[in-house]
Amino acid sequence: MDLFYFILSILYGILKFLHINFIPFNWGGYPVGEWIAWAIVGLVEVIIVFALSMLLVVILVYVFRKYMADLQNRIGPNRVGPWGSLQLIADVFKLIQKQDLIPSRADRIAFKLAPYIVFTPVALGFVLIPFGNISILNLMVLNFPYTVLFLIAFMIISPLGEIIGGLSSHNKFSLYGALRSAAQDIGYEVPMMISVISVIILAGSYSANSIVYAQRNIPFIIPEVLGFFVFFFAMIAKQSIPPFDLPESGSELVSGYSTEYSGMRYGIFYMANFGFMALTSFVVATLYLGGWEGPFPFIPGLFWLLIKAAIFMVIFLLSWIALGRVRIDQFLNLGWKYLLPLSIINLLISAGLALTVGGWF
Amino acid sequence: MEDKLIEVNFGPQHPSTHGVLRIKVRLDGEYIVDAYPVIGYLHRNAEKLAEMGYYPKAMIYVDRLDYVASLNGELGYVLSAEKLMDIQVPERAQWIRMMLVELNRVASHLIWFGTHGLDMGMLTPFFYCFRERERILRIFDEVTGSRLLYNYFAIGGVYSDVTPKAIEMIREFTGNFVTKLEEIEGIFKKNYIYVKRTTGVGKLSLEDALSYGVTGPMLRASGKSWDLRKNQPYLFYKDINFDVPTRPEGDVYARFLVRLEEMKQSIKIVEQILTKLPEGDFYNKKYAKPMLIRLKANGESYVPTESPKGEFGIYLVGDGSTMPYRFRIRSPSFANLSATPVMLKGYKIADLTATVSSMDPVFGEVDR
Repeated sequence: MDLFYFILSILYGILKFLHINFIPFNWGGYPVGEWIAWAIVGLVEVIIVFALSMLLVVILVYVFRKYMADLQNRIGPNRVGPWGSLQLIADVFKLIQKQDLIPSRADRIAFKLAPYIVFTPVALGFVLIPFGNISILNLMVLNFPYTVLFLIAFMIISPLGEIIGGLSSHNKFSLYGALRSAAQDIGYEVPMMISVISVIILAGSYSANSIVYAQRNIPFIIPEVLGFFVFFFAMIAKQSIPPFDLPESGSELVSGYSTEYSGMRYGIFYMANFGFMALTSFVVATLYLGGWEGPFPFIPGLFWLLIKAAIFMVIFLLSWIALGRVRIDQFLNLGWKYLLPLSIINLLISAGLALTVGGWF
Repeated sequence: MEDKLIEVNFGPQHPSTHGVLRIKVRLDGEYIVDAYPVIGYLHRNAEKLAEMGYYPKAMIYVDRLDYVASLNGELGYVLSAEKLMDIQVPERAQWIRMMLVELNRVASHLIWFGTHGLDMGMLTPFFYCFRERERILRIFDEVTGSRLLYNYFAIGGVYSDVTPKAIEMIREFTGNFVTKLEEIEGIFKKNYIYVKRTTGVGKLSLEDALSYGVTGPMLRASGKSWDLRKNQPYLFYKDINFDVPTRPEGDVYARFLVRLEEMKQSIKIVEQILTKLPEGDFYNKKYAKPMLIRLKANGESYVPTESPKGEFGIYLVGDGSTMPYRFRIRSPSFANLSATPVMLKGYKIADLTATVSSMDPVFGEVDR
């Protein structure tokens, strides 16, 4: 049973208790009442998941700042709230107060649209992650047979926003940021897709929940080491954090595609960055480390998933703090000459495994 | 072809220009076709101002040339002025000068080290470098009374003696600095990304380096063993045992290695000075209050010194009055910067920041 139907049945129960009877309402033969109920439930769930993911982002930003400060002989935020934990909230208020600046020769519509396009996948992606199950209830907002395909489709929306933002800013640095973003996306997305396809072949299903279930004995990181590394590098590039922060390139292109953005629009880019870090950690944990599957059945699956995702978040943070930036040609070399062949080899391996010992998974 | 090129101004407002450098680059995609440095955004007329004051008053202007290595600038002026006026300096003062100048060289290279990391996209080494630099600044605070612009060397000596506490601080610093430096250098040297990005980038051949008047670590990274402390020794450098690190490659990584080794050699020099520091006066008693005396001079003088950036010297012409007739600054960053177009042509945008930061330009000195 999915979370969707669980909440739907609760809604039905509440409505029945209140003697409101619009569910069987028909209009011209269509079950409009049921559609309205679905829409309400969907909206409620998306809002809950969105709020939780934003909470995760707030925690992640705080941990990032403190951890980074700790590694750099600094104290980090320590003024706003207990141990500086409300610093991000203060920052958001500061950003909201700022003047809404749009360059006079920018394409205004595209310029305003870009941050939301970048942010969309963060809001949508968490809907498709299986967070565990409580007895027969799947903690998954949307559970349908093609979850992973939709997850990947959501995640490749965001570079589009970066390109639109960079091209519409009317700034040469932004233009270069957009072009680099485009080059980088093509560089890592093809190997990323191929390594996801090999996971799908091995699990025999497009559904994220089935992929998790297929890893109950052996997590996919063991049969698909190559695919894991390809996907891991692709995920670092996806978040555009060092060493692959080429679209932003802090010291070369002033701030890349987001050079002209200020105020809350910049804040949205910033939140999207950390949101992506959280989302990609969950995706890697789900696809390669067995998601919510854990050794002890009495510990809820959500705990295992959070532990696994937290490991990746820390690795991403460390990569951000410790490493320098590669050059664009070096990144494209890595993408096309190393990641792509490796992912194809991995595809062959997993196809062979699926044909011979597919029953294990 | 011409109309396909994009002209981009890197600077003067740009995060990695080390002040106010502006580089006009013409780009073909990611490749640099043409680069042209534009300077003058920090011009303060230091030469003319120095010509308008008494000889001791010029000290604050040489302080503010290379503001991360002020004492090296002061040394260049003090030596030149003493040669012009034929003033004898007590031995202890000269050894103190050598010691502080070497410490300041380490501080300057540490700033370069940290900002070079920032330019390569590495945030963390910057803080480690500033932690170490802070210890040097504490020593300077104890010795001279200020942390950045010291105004400490005077014509005829130094303003105050080095206290035993300061000697103790310097001993402690030299005792463990090299191990800490090796810790930091591991972040760069053992990092495949850094090594890959800097080898073969921003190449400067020896002929080009010599024809553009490039000096200092950049010249030594291009393969010429030329260090004024060794080749034209001033102060007591001839009594001290140290090596001049050189690399033949002439790229960014070579400059990185040369500067690293130079820091270690400076520490070696300071350690030797600590054992040899003689007792005695710290200024020439004939000029009891060096700041107030109205020195008169006639003739001309130039003493080249090895500052952290290269050959630094001040050409002084005296006309018999209390003010210099001509005060010409030979600043190494200016000459080094003129080689920019050669070093950038044909490389990529990302190499621009690596190359510019490897030159270690300080704009107080370039624009004066």
